[in-house]
Formats: sequence, C-alpha cells, structure tokens
Amino acid sequence: MDSLEILDEKLTECPANSEDAGRSSVCEGCPGQTLCRMQGGADPDQEIIDVRMGAIKHKVLILSGKGGVGKSTVAYLLSLALARCQSSKVGVVDLDICGPSIPKLFNVENQPIVQSPYGWKPLVSPNEDVKVMSVGSMLDSDTTSVIFRGPRKTGLIKRFLKDTFWGKLDFLICDTPPGTSDEHMAIVKLLKNVKPDGAILVTTPQEVAVATIKKEISFCRKMGVAVLGLVENMSGLVCPCCKETSEVFPGRGVVSLAESHNIPILGSLPMDPKVTECCENDRNPLENYPESPTVQGIMEISSRLIGLVNNG
Amino acid sequence: MNCPGTGSDQAGKSTACQGCPNQNVCATKPKGPDPDVGDITEKMSKIKHKLIILSGKGGVGKSTFTAHLAHGLSSDNDKQIGVLDVDICGPSLPKIFGVEGEQVHQSGSGWSPVYVDDNLSLMSVGFLLSKADEAVIWRGPKKNGMIKQFLRDVDWGEIDYLLIDTPPGTSDEHLSIAQYLKESDVDGAIVITTPQEVALLDVRKEITFCRKVDLPIIGVVENMSSFVCPKCKVSTQIFPASTGGGQKMAEDMNVPFLGSLPLDPRIGKCCDEGKSFLTEVPDSPATQAYKQIMSKIVEYCTKRNENRESDSGEMKTN
Repeated sequence: MDSLEILDEKLTECPANSEDAGRSSVCEGCPGQTLCRMQGGADPDQEIIDVRMGAIKHKVLILSGKGGVGKSTVAYLLSLALARCQSSKVGVVDLDICGPSIPKLFNVENQPIVQSPYGWKPLVSPNEDVKVMSVGSMLDSDTTSVIFRGPRKTGLIKRFLKDTFWGKLDFLICDTPPGTSDEHMAIVKLLKNVKPDGAILVTTPQEVAVATIKKEISFCRKMGVAVLGLVENMSGLVCPCCKETSEVFPGRGVVSLAESHNIPILGSLPMDPKVTECCENDRNPLENYPESPTVQGIMEISSRLIGLVNNG
Repeated sequence: MNCPGTGSDQAGKSTACQGCPNQNVCATKPKGPDPDVGDITEKMSKIKHKLIILSGKGGVGKSTFTAHLAHGLSSDNDKQIGVLDVDICGPSLPKIFGVEGEQVHQSGSGWSPVYVDDNLSLMSVGFLLSKADEAVIWRGPKKNGMIKQFLRDVDWGEIDYLLIDTPPGTSDEHLSIAQYLKESDVDGAIVITTPQEVALLDVRKEITFCRKVDLPIIGVVENMSSFVCPKCKVSTQIFPASTGGGQKMAEDMNVPFLGSLPLDPRIGKCCDEGKSFLTEVPDSPATQAYKQIMSKIVEYCTKRNENRESDSGEMKTN
C-alpha cells in the first residue's frame, strides 16, 4: 500500500512540458517518467508547427473543466459568427480525440481527408466556409471508438498542427475535451512559440460546473495561457410555448467567479431549441434564426473577442 | 488502430503502435503480470457487485446518476454502498454528495473512504487536493497510477455495491479500469446519454469500447429527455432526439434500454447543495423514473448472482 499523499500545488502540476520533464523530484514514481525523459528536449517538429501556426493571426483555445457545457457548440457558433459577421477566415481544430463532435456540427461528416503536396487538406464546412480538422473525419463509421492513451492522443494533435495545410487564417479555434490533461498540455506546448491569444472558458450556471472552471483558471495560470473571458452557456431556456425564461441549470456562480478572478464575461447564451435543432440537422443557425437570442448572444461574443485580440 | 494495452504482449510491437510516442517505452519495458492486479482482485472479491458508469460524452449526467443510484441503493439500510470517482481532472462527486473538504485517512488496512452516510462511502481525488480549486494537470500515466492506488489501497470493507464514476471518453482512465479490474468479475457498465445525435455519436463509441474490453453492458440510460416548463407545464425537448434518441440507439447497438430521465431543474440545485434529489423531491416524475431504472439494475445484479451460484453450485447470501 502506498502512503496517502495530499496533493499540494507542486504535486498537481506535471512538468512534462518543461525541461524538467521526467527529471524533477515530482516525477519520482510517476509511471510516465521514462517516457518524459525520452521525449524531453527540443522537438524537431516544432519548427514546422511554428511556421504553419505563424500564418494564423489569432489562436484561441475553448476550454472547460466540465464536460457537456457546450464547448464544441460555442466553438461552432463562434467560428460561424467570426466568419459571417466579422469577415474572418476561420479554422477549427478538434482536439477531442475520443469524442469528436466537430464534424457533425460543421456538416462535414462522410467527407474524407485528402492529402495534398502541402499537407492534409482540412475539410471546408458549407456553413460559412470554415476549415475543419478532426479525428472524426478519419473514422470508418460513427461506432468506431478511438481508444488511445495519452501519448497517442498527443501525437495526433501534433499532426493536426504540423501536417494540416491550414493556410493563412485570421482565427484558429481549438476545441478541447473536458479536463486538464494530455490534450491540453499538448496544445499549450505546441503553440508556445507562436503565442496563442488565450482561452475562452465555457461554463453552465450551476456550481458543479463553476467549480471546475476554477480548476481551468488554475490550469491557465500555471501554463501561462491568458484567459480572454467567460461564456455562460445554457443560461436559461425560453419556453417555445409561453415564452417565459426558465432556469434549467440554476446557479449564480458565474458572475461572482468573474468578479473574484477579474475575468470579463464575454456573454451569456440561453438555450434555444431551434438552434439546437439546427446543430442536429446540418443547418446554419445564423442564417436560419438570426433573431434567436442565442444567435444574438454569439454575435456579441464574437465582436467582443475581436476587440480583445486586436487590442492585446 | 487501437492501443493493444501497455501491459499486453503486443505492447509496442503491434501495427497500431507505429508512430505512437510511447512505442519504445512499451517495447522495451519488461512484460509479465502486474502484481498489483492480484491485490486489486483480492480487494474487489469482498465487494458483491461492481458497476461502472460510462459515457463517451461529457455533461450527460454520469456523476449525477452515479450519486443518485448510490443514494437509492443505500436507502436500504442493510446494504453497504461505495462510490469511486476516477475523474482525476474534474472530480464532481464530493460536491454532489455534500462532502467537499472532508479528509481521507490512512489506517493499517488501507485508505479509508469518506462516509456520506452510515452505509454510503466515497473516494475521490477531490479529497486529496490541498486546495479545491487546484487543477490536476497530469498526463495519462500519472492518472493511471492514481486509479491503481484507489483500486488497490482503498479499504471499502465488505460492501454490496461499488459504483465507479468515470470521466467522458475512451482513454487512459477507461483502459486502466478495464485492465485493473479484468479479473474482478465486474457486473457491467451503465451507459448514460442525452437524446441528441451529437451525444449519441460519442456514446456509440463507448459501447464499442465496452465490447472491445469485454465489459458487459447492463444498459443505456437516456438523461435530460425532456424539460417541463414550471410555468406553463408544457414539455420541451431541449436536446432533440433527431435520430430517435437513446432508445433507438440502444436498439441499433443491440443493448438493453433501461429508461429515460426527465430534466428537473431541482436536480441540478440538489447537486449543487450536496443533497439527494430522491429525498428532497420524492414526488417528481424524475424521482419515479430513477427508481424504475434502479430496480432494473438491481434485478440484473441479482439475476447475475443467481446464475453464478447455479453455475458454481455454491451457496452465497445476497
């Protein structure tokens, strides 16, 4: 039996991204120590990634500690809004290797990824011409599971950045899975030389979700990623029958979190069943329901984001 | 394409290993049975039923379901229930059970879980953090190490049910649970989904994962099926079942469908306050739905026990 160890700040942070990878005292006893020692040091692929990413003006991570708060949906709606309303050239990279939602949302299911002389050609969504890359587009069928351990997920994420012919873009939106693990450490490490603009943190109102956002803020602080702001998703539901707004996930934590951590709230997005239906049925919600409060909300968030990244 | 398992004979040598950054480590490390698996199997042998709650998708209500299943099972005071939270990066269960800030203690027989009630205990990484807001930024191998410690070193005692709550996905945590418990006769997995296709896409993958690692599937639960407007009482599908929802998906994937749970905003409120929704709002349709699903799960476990007894010819008390 191992001794019970309280995990203080030192022990909760794996130095895998640093020169100490595998060599720090924290690494003693870690099952990944050998791997980190072998992989530590300069990465020859980094130069190629720096060139590819250097052609992209703004790199924004969409993060949340909690699953199911709508990161992918926010990534989708935000990229549509940036492309449509801000006339930006946008790409979206799906870093959720085990549960890739992006191909479905962007209506690029069943499209194969093609190799060109310049690299993998990202798929282009018929919704606003957004470029998309996801492992979902590499699978035989939608029941195929991707059972990768951390190193293999990290390897694939690297290829998404190194081998994809993104071209010149205004924005690369990086959709992430929930948590603070391999995928998150990988993207921060791979983008470190090209200085990503920062992260948008998505949460829902209830405390269980807000509690994990605090961990995500802690992650950003430890990894040197700027927090651009918070998006409160599923802030309420407008009943299609009586038009009254009801709380589905009650809670007031987002406002106090924003105040206590001095983070701007970029916007709140209520749930609109019409927008959800668009996402399910390959229709562009910005085109079909421009008057929806959710669509209005994401358009405001996109213009706030433009303001932040251009002033930063 | 899938990882053969870091402990398998093919580790590092399979075609699936080509290009994996871990390939050299897997190929060169000494093989042989993991001695800890024996310790884990022995510990698990004192637990009558082991259930794993899974979903490919995040935010469908795995932890909420796990907690309420535990509350429901522990309402029988003769039953002892344990809950293990293997979501290392986003441990929700201490909050949902109302035991945030509690301490885990170590004794000669192992780590003592935190008692939520006399007959309901919980272990989570959340109890090991010096600060609740601290992010646990660990790669897969370190997470696996913690999960192994939880399975090997927590002294549950002789309990009737151990419920294992997992994070979303089909990665390190899930492979580790499957690997470490492969000789522990896990009763099965309960797979949670919400009705919309974006969720079902991930959940189908989870069912495929269960089949690949020979984990029996008890059934699918569809959560957040509908929302009843508290003002006009009209039911709305927040997450539309555009492709038939959880029930159709279960039929297509040839797994049992255990039932649907409506979305009652009081569930989220109870989770935030660390209370049992089943006790706080006993007349909600959601409470009735939970109870019906629970009874199907108990029936499955009881039948499985009876089949095992008749196969082995031994008498066991249940």
